[in-house]
Amino acid sequence: MPAVQETIDQVRQIDVDQYKYGFETTIEVEKAPKGLSEDIIRFISAKKNEPEWMLEWRLDAYRRWLTMEEPTWARVNYPKIDFNDLYYYAAPKGTTGPKSLDEVDPEILKVYEKLGIPLKEQEMLAGVQKSKIAVDAVFDSVSVVTTFKEELKKAGVIFMSISEAIREHPDLIKKYLGTVVPTTDNYYATLNSAVFTDGSFVFVPKGVRCPMELSTYFRINEKNTGQFERTLIIAEDNAYVSYLEGCTAPQRDENQLHAAVVELIALDDAEIKYSTVQNWYPGDKDGKGGIYNFVTKRGDCRGKNSKISWTQVETGSAITWKYPSCILRGDGSRGEFYSIAVSNGHQQIDSGTKMIHLGKNTSSRIVSKGIAAGVSENTYRGQVSAHRKAENARNFTQCDSLLIGDKCGAHTVPYIEAKNSTAQFEHEATTSKISEDQLFYCLQRGIPTEAAIALIVNGFVKEVIQELPMEFAVEAQKLIGISLEGSVG
Amino acid sequence: MNMQQAIKMTAAETALVDAYTAQIGDLPGDGAVLSVRDTLVHELKTAGLPTRRVESWHYTDLRTLLRAVPAADPSAFAERVEALVSGATVFSVRNGHADFKGNAPEGVTIRSYTDSLLDGSAAAGLAVLGTDDAIGRINGGLVRGGLELSIADGTELEDPLEIQLVQSLGQAHTRFPVSFGANTKATVIERHLSTNAAESLISSVSDITVGEGADITWIILQQQGAADTHLGQIRFDLAADAKLHLFIINAGGKLVRQEIHGKTSGEGADFKLRGINLLGGESHTDVTFTLGHNVPHTTSTEVIRNVVFDRAKGVFQGKILVAKDAQKTDAKMACNTLLLSDDADLSAKPELEIFADDVQCGHGATVADIDHTQLFYLMARGIPENKARAMLVNAFVAEIVEELDDEPLVEALESVISTWLDKHA
Repeated sequence: MPAVQETIDQVRQIDVDQYKYGFETTIEVEKAPKGLSEDIIRFISAKKNEPEWMLEWRLDAYRRWLTMEEPTWARVNYPKIDFNDLYYYAAPKGTTGPKSLDEVDPEILKVYEKLGIPLKEQEMLAGVQKSKIAVDAVFDSVSVVTTFKEELKKAGVIFMSISEAIREHPDLIKKYLGTVVPTTDNYYATLNSAVFTDGSFVFVPKGVRCPMELSTYFRINEKNTGQFERTLIIAEDNAYVSYLEGCTAPQRDENQLHAAVVELIALDDAEIKYSTVQNWYPGDKDGKGGIYNFVTKRGDCRGKNSKISWTQVETGSAITWKYPSCILRGDGSRGEFYSIAVSNGHQQIDSGTKMIHLGKNTSSRIVSKGIAAGVSENTYRGQVSAHRKAENARNFTQCDSLLIGDKCGAHTVPYIEAKNSTAQFEHEATTSKISEDQLFYCLQRGIPTEAAIALIVNGFVKEVIQELPMEFAVEAQKLIGISLEGSVG
Repeated sequence: MNMQQAIKMTAAETALVDAYTAQIGDLPGDGAVLSVRDTLVHELKTAGLPTRRVESWHYTDLRTLLRAVPAADPSAFAERVEALVSGATVFSVRNGHADFKGNAPEGVTIRSYTDSLLDGSAAAGLAVLGTDDAIGRINGGLVRGGLELSIADGTELEDPLEIQLVQSLGQAHTRFPVSFGANTKATVIERHLSTNAAESLISSVSDITVGEGADITWIILQQQGAADTHLGQIRFDLAADAKLHLFIINAGGKLVRQEIHGKTSGEGADFKLRGINLLGGESHTDVTFTLGHNVPHTTSTEVIRNVVFDRAKGVFQGKILVAKDAQKTDAKMACNTLLLSDDADLSAKPELEIFADDVQCGHGATVADIDHTQLFYLMARGIPENKARAMLVNAFVAEIVEELDDEPLVEALESVISTWLDKHA
């Protein structure tokens, strides 16, 4: 069945030539010299006032990276990246780290204003926003400001840029950094470990429910720079945190690189909810320019009954290479992945998840919806595996794709690996098998089948997306509303 | 660094290349065939057998798994076995040598594949399907014989044709190009057996074209010995309104790779794949399937049922490709597995690659143990647990055998399945 008109219109609204965040801001910047070498890494480390051990950590990663090869298994094509033709550090002049809001360059504040990101605490309190959201704003290579830090501190929550955390909480960093995504993990993660510049650090101590949504907003502004974000979130026993990230970049003819590493750690009974609205510049309608988004995101459900949930709305980037994963190590832990990936123009998306069941009684759920239009390629690639000892592992996977037009492609590449007879895996690509009970409940109340299915499938995603503070939330919600009609497996 | 540098060959790779070198003056073929063989063996020598880094071999690292290759023994002898169903015309290939005893039914022309190699008409067909086509490469390099069948337009065969491959030991590499003319109707049974416990390696490629409006049932029954390596491949091409019902049962072998590569070339073509993999012991069985829906209005359904016992490893890779203009394609693929041992393994990769926007494609994959509510239901009725389990496992696979519209055949296959299950369950 072909796509319905309503869906076509909605996808058209976020087509590549409709990119709204493509403006550029002229700000005096301080850059590291172009290229990548041990000296550049020393430069970055020095800029960040890092302790010696951190520098060594970076250099180790760099030396290993030199021996690695770029992966080619993903279904994406792009010309070879010259890693020596990039700036690895660019910061607005005079900024070495987050300050109070008054000290931030008004030009930068204007950028965030334009993007619709609330940085002023008073404004938010004055009722501009319904709920309070703490924001860490990362501009090129540095975090310019982190809001609500004090209030969060009172609750015991540490929310700051990772550069600050390395200086202020070295013990926590040493204990957790690189334990989920080791420096040796993959080409881009290793590169990131060598040159990462900023990102957020969240630590929610035992028994604390983080009192507000945390969020980081990434903006690439400078030309020819790569952004290497590093985020680390730790939820101790019984803690809860909901975090979301957003990203945009100016419209430029050349490609820019964003290689991030995100690590989540959930201890006993903890829950981390991580949402992404990825709206990097996708390139123009001829496929010129755009961000290469090569991201390694992984959550470790280390404690028993812990839970990690990833939600992503992917509409930007020329190339997306991203597989937010869950390692279900703790007994009874749960992983979730909800994704909506829309590709337009010449965009190429190869994204999905990994659910690695290691502990007993672990469960996971994957709901992925890919929509391809224009001449784009949209691939879902996911792995679900149950190890020998993962008794009673459960997985439910559903991935739907929808094509608009006959020049694009939609692909599904699931890897299902079971090594335990009590594992129960279901991979579904049809819409008829989502929870019969829920469907029955809706039907009973007079909701037609298709509406009921859309309601159920999208319910999970909606719940998170409705809380998004960004302008984009409106579009995101429209996307969620997209009819499942005409979708193929 | 010189990437062209030859790899360090494993024992199996060396054995395959040596087998070629040893027979080089003896392998049938004209100049064209020999030059194709040379190229294929050279590729094998330089690239080696595929590893898990080759995506289509992700779960079957042939380079590691294929330990050694038994030498061919020309004096080896294998006996013809009874036909699977009575009345079938049997074409027997024993230790790689085709035997023409038995009269071909009317409308069926039969020729020795060795002759086609000798006169060069087989040369074009020896080309590999892609760089990852290791089976095509091994087989193309070493193939000595097989049969070429051609079924004349309009022929309707009442009784099945059985191509029987019996191996006692050593190596055999065979090929079966079969062309079904327009509006033909036939059932072909391709049966792989071994007569003893000795180790053997066989590679076999069936290359079939199904003419317009033909209605063909092709059954592959693989029952090789517990020490055997089976590298099987079936290629097919469906013309307009052609129907192919491919039914595969794997119930033997130590290392088995069964590839199915097909395409629809005419509108209205319909393909049906039903697979049963009965896996036990220390075996490794990989069923890899690709289907190109290349033209509009073609349909396919695939159902694979795996039952995995002991320390067996099962793999199913299925890939449906819908070409750019193949609108109104309807393709459905399901892979269901009963994983009955904690030491067993099952990996499934049901892929879709879709380039047309008005299609219906779906796939489903499940892995689970026996449903405990069903078990409870049976036990509540006084059926002992082991029997109840056996019943449920049997029902899980027998269900798709019954789809075959041929009673003696269904009975024969059911007995193969229950014999296997009795031995393993």
